Amino acid sequence: MKLRRRLLKEKETESINVSPLIDVVFILLIFFIISASFVKVPGEEVVRPRTVTAESLQKNAILFALTADNSLHYAGDKIAIDQVRPLVEGLRREVDAPVIIQVDQDADASRLAEVAREGKKAGATVSIATRKPR
Amino acid sequence: MKRRLTSFTADSVEINVSPLIDMVFILLIFFIVATSFVNEIGLTPKHRDTADPTRKLEPPITFQLTAEGRILNGDAEIGLAGVIPVVRAASAKKAKPVILLVEQGSKAGLATRVMDQAMLAGAKTVKLSAITSTINR
Repeated sequence: MKLRRRLLKEKETESINVSPLIDVVFILLIFFIISASFVKVPGEEVVRPRTVTAESLQKNAILFALTADNSLHYAGDKIAIDQVRPLVEGLRREVDAPVIIQVDQDADASRLAEVAREGKKAGATVSIATRKPR
Repeated sequence: MKRRLTSFTADSVEINVSPLIDMVFILLIFFIVATSFVNEIGLTPKHRDTADPTRKLEPPITFQLTAEGRILNGDAEIGLAGVIPVVRAASAKKAKPVILLVEQGSKAGLATRVMDQAMLAGAKTVKLSAITSTINR
């Protein structure tokens, strides 16, 4: 009896079956690959204005950053305002992505208006990124 | 000869899956991190294109933001707190579009907060528009 139990115990502890684990991990991997949306970040840190009515924006978006020194950035590069419209039109030919402007609270509002207008002309919905009030 | 054959069969019996699992885990962690990378909140001030001449439009509520940070409604200077009453009073019967004219040199933070206040008061469409010359001084 004793011997039998010991044998059984040894057999159990001998090896753990890892195939269900691998299955689960693969399923998770596929899920995250599909749901991943690779967006190009502007690469400039801005101080967003605080607003009350802010709502969650679409993740897969074309991001622009307007910094406090009024320079416009896209995907790590500094761009001019007249480049916005062809760029957005080109990107929107593939996917129907909205435009999000990350604006610094000390940036020039008329520049913001111009960027928003260019995005609108390209046919995109334009949003302004903000942060929650304190 | 015989011995070599047995060792060969012993080799092919089990494949070592641990490097595969390692790699899959690394990929999994990468994708988990990459998915939650951009998560923005913000305002979407929708406005329809007013180029259609056949549709009659409501006269908009116009605000002006000066370079000094003053908020004007017509000739009257209103503060940031004055935006909500103006929008509420003007669009009591029917929702009206809001136009925010911004002067060159005015702060985007303040413009965004005016838009926020207007949307808080119930305005659905807010148009941000830049002006080069000053009108109501």
